[in-house]
Amino acid sequence: MFQTEVLIIGGGALGTAIARELSRYKVETALVEKEFDFGWGSTKANMCIVCQGADGLEFRKEYRRTRLVQESMSLMEPLCAELDVPFNRVGELAIFFNNEGRAKYEKMKARAEISGITAHKFIERDELRQMEPNIAKEAIGALYDPNIAVTDPVRLSIALAENAEQNGVKLITGAEVQDIVKVADGFDVKTSQGNIYCEFIINAAGTSVDRVAAMLNADDFVVYPIRGYVAILDRKVSDLVNHEVHARPEAPGESNIITPTVYGNLSIGTPMTLAKRGEHLTTREMTQITLNNVQRLVPDVSERDIINSFSGFLMFRNWEVGWHECVVSPSRNVPRFINVSIGYPGVSAAPATAREVMKLLRQEGLKLEEKPDFNPYRKAITDFSELSDQEKQELIAKDNRYGHVVCRCETVTEGEIIEAIKRGANTLDGVKFRTRAGMGRCQSGFCLPRVINILSRELSISPKEVTKKGGESQQLLFESKELVEGRQ
Amino acid sequence: MKLQDVDVAVIGAGPAGLAAAIKAKESGAQNVIVMERAEQMGGLLHQCVHNGFGLFYFNEDLTGPEYAHRFVEKATDTGINGLLETMVTEITAERQVKAISGEAGCITLKPKAIVLAMGCRERARGALGIPGTRPAGIFTAGTAQRFVNVEGFIPGKKIVILGSGDIGMIMARRLTLEGANVEAVVEILPYTGGLIRNEVQCLHDFEIPLLLRHTVTQIHGEQRIEAVTISEVDNSARPIAGTERKIECDTLLLSVGLIPENELSLMAGVELDPITGGPIVDEMRQTSIPGIFAGGNVVHVHDLVDNVSWESELAGESAARFASGVKEPKGEIRLKAGNNIRYIVPQTISGQNAVTLYIRVEEMEEDVRLQIGDVMNKGLRIVKPSEMLKIELSPEHLKKTKKGTGEIVVKCERRQRQ
Repeated sequence: MFQTEVLIIGGGALGTAIARELSRYKVETALVEKEFDFGWGSTKANMCIVCQGADGLEFRKEYRRTRLVQESMSLMEPLCAELDVPFNRVGELAIFFNNEGRAKYEKMKARAEISGITAHKFIERDELRQMEPNIAKEAIGALYDPNIAVTDPVRLSIALAENAEQNGVKLITGAEVQDIVKVADGFDVKTSQGNIYCEFIINAAGTSVDRVAAMLNADDFVVYPIRGYVAILDRKVSDLVNHEVHARPEAPGESNIITPTVYGNLSIGTPMTLAKRGEHLTTREMTQITLNNVQRLVPDVSERDIINSFSGFLMFRNWEVGWHECVVSPSRNVPRFINVSIGYPGVSAAPATAREVMKLLRQEGLKLEEKPDFNPYRKAITDFSELSDQEKQELIAKDNRYGHVVCRCETVTEGEIIEAIKRGANTLDGVKFRTRAGMGRCQSGFCLPRVINILSRELSISPKEVTKKGGESQQLLFESKELVEGRQ
Repeated sequence: MKLQDVDVAVIGAGPAGLAAAIKAKESGAQNVIVMERAEQMGGLLHQCVHNGFGLFYFNEDLTGPEYAHRFVEKATDTGINGLLETMVTEITAERQVKAISGEAGCITLKPKAIVLAMGCRERARGALGIPGTRPAGIFTAGTAQRFVNVEGFIPGKKIVILGSGDIGMIMARRLTLEGANVEAVVEILPYTGGLIRNEVQCLHDFEIPLLLRHTVTQIHGEQRIEAVTISEVDNSARPIAGTERKIECDTLLLSVGLIPENELSLMAGVELDPITGGPIVDEMRQTSIPGIFAGGNVVHVHDLVDNVSWESELAGESAARFASGVKEPKGEIRLKAGNNIRYIVPQTISGQNAVTLYIRVEEMEEDVRLQIGDVMNKGLRIVKPSEMLKIELSPEHLKKTKKGTGEIVVKCERRQRQ
């Protein structure tokens, strides 16, 4: 049995941020993640926006969620810099089409100012046209927030995990927590990869947060699964908008958003609806509603330019009245068991939430003594496509696998893929999220056989054992002649 | 290899690139370079192990690798310089070409002329927006073809194929021969998306169920695909409620269209035709940017490789002439798509040279008359979008064009019965 002082359950943006924060201290820490890499739950399926939540009508200074999101706003950029994660302050334009819309935003701006958010300003029609030439003619102005940014939440989670590991945290992927039993001074956690004994548990299990808590009767909160839809547009239309642009819905189900990503593609999103947890499906209707709504903002957005679409879940604390509260607290029933669930915007709130969890751990009796040798820096995998010609030349001279382009749409080289595998990618999706191989317009039609071969070679497994996302997700079921010769 | 004083640089060493390079060399270009991202020349023909290639070009029935081999050999004999495992990353309007290779690092060329021969790619699931989950076991037909014919793996044994493009139908037969069960080929249109000969030889001869006017409306399975729901569609291709049927499968192949690969063309500012997805070209296969030519599937998706070779030879020859300083007559007559015509390539002609028109229709129709302005008029028994029409016009034909009209309308209409 593996033993640790603190066990973090969940390797999304929150879990990894907490792991990295804990790695500053002299504490034995382990993190278990049921997927085969970090950030594969809610962290991977959203609009990738770093926001302060002041765009929500429920925004109130007194809510803890508000404080955590707001504190995180100033922490996120330096964090991304330390961890070599893309971060781009694109700014936000909240569009209105009439004076009623303006009035709502005026109220919101006043409320944000009470909370100390003062950067908002109103932009009138002509200036809006200059900032966003493709915006709908009907828009008469916008509330502009220059602080809103975009990042890559999956890469952020991976970076946080890698940096935590550098500083001594034990990371265990592909390990699903199946049961938790309270024992003398701690917990016996049964996972699909064996039992773990620990003294403190941080439950950051994302969409399973309530289920994990229920294993110990520590579920003194209710969360609701809410599903959203995201579609990614081809880079050739990346000029359609320069900022994150959205409009407040005039009727329910009319909300809409379009934003640049850190990779040049735009993404579009939809109103969120209550849905059955785990039903990660997309429907024709979701695509249509999203397009219709987003076309009210930017008429030139076209279904033709969608290269991929997916759905993602958030756990809302209070579905009926909005998303204004979160769960960041020790269980009332079980000492030394801390539940962490932000809902929206979880990624944005991660840095301050991780700090908050340190306070809670102290309250629960954990001694946190700083490590003198904590190293806050982590280097990303070299992004070959971003290098200058001179740098490319030097890198290829050192290792010619960087001159072998495997994914042609995103210009990802064999060198980058091998580095991703060295750092822990062991599935096709792992390689994809760490390097972008397969994320381009051809959606891996070209690079799939090549990436399978590289994974097979580097991990010394058969191409038949290479999976899309772990478990039973093999891509190639048989070898040539296996079926005709009746071996199957 | 001499990377200075390049006369013609050809991007891509598939059938289009090889034909263009050989012809450029034969037409007098001294230094011809082909840049290819794969490990060998010949492009996707290597994975097309079936026959039916070269029936027109060589008057022989060859397999894909055989067809490719003839061109690869000739390219070597003619003294073409091939840069393999070399990825072109940028082309400018001033004809600067940047590329990366493991062997040479970063390469910058300044050729006198460029031929675009990047071919096309398959439409993927994301672009279709098929509803449902995202499990393993969903491939484009061409990727599956590579697994079976090059890598030596069979993706699964219960297969559904969405779309009836040529590669899809060929893979239906191929997988059947490999011992898999193809449960259905599902096509949204009332007719197949590929050649009639493939429908007969690949589906009918192997008794593979072909479901016309149907589409996949849902994908099931969390880790590996477990089933698809298919539905009948109405005349506007919308699924009809109540016709849903679940088919169990472990693999879904997509054969739902090919898209010319023009990201590099766009970087150079080459103007594209929204219908073909490829560059707008004149009869010499020159694009909107002087000195940049294009041939094969990068211009428009062909159904026969023989035509790819011919069209690209034209591009290669024109590029060699451009490199030697010859000025071509400008294409001033526009060819305009009229009734039931999807596109015509080339989009413009000069009216002074013999020219071959490649024409695709919008919809299947029987007993029609194809009219090319007042230049030509031809009765046809049947036209189908998947079967490209090829019309040769001589300078004599073109003399009939009224000078100064600047436009020839091509249309295809049902023949009037007397």
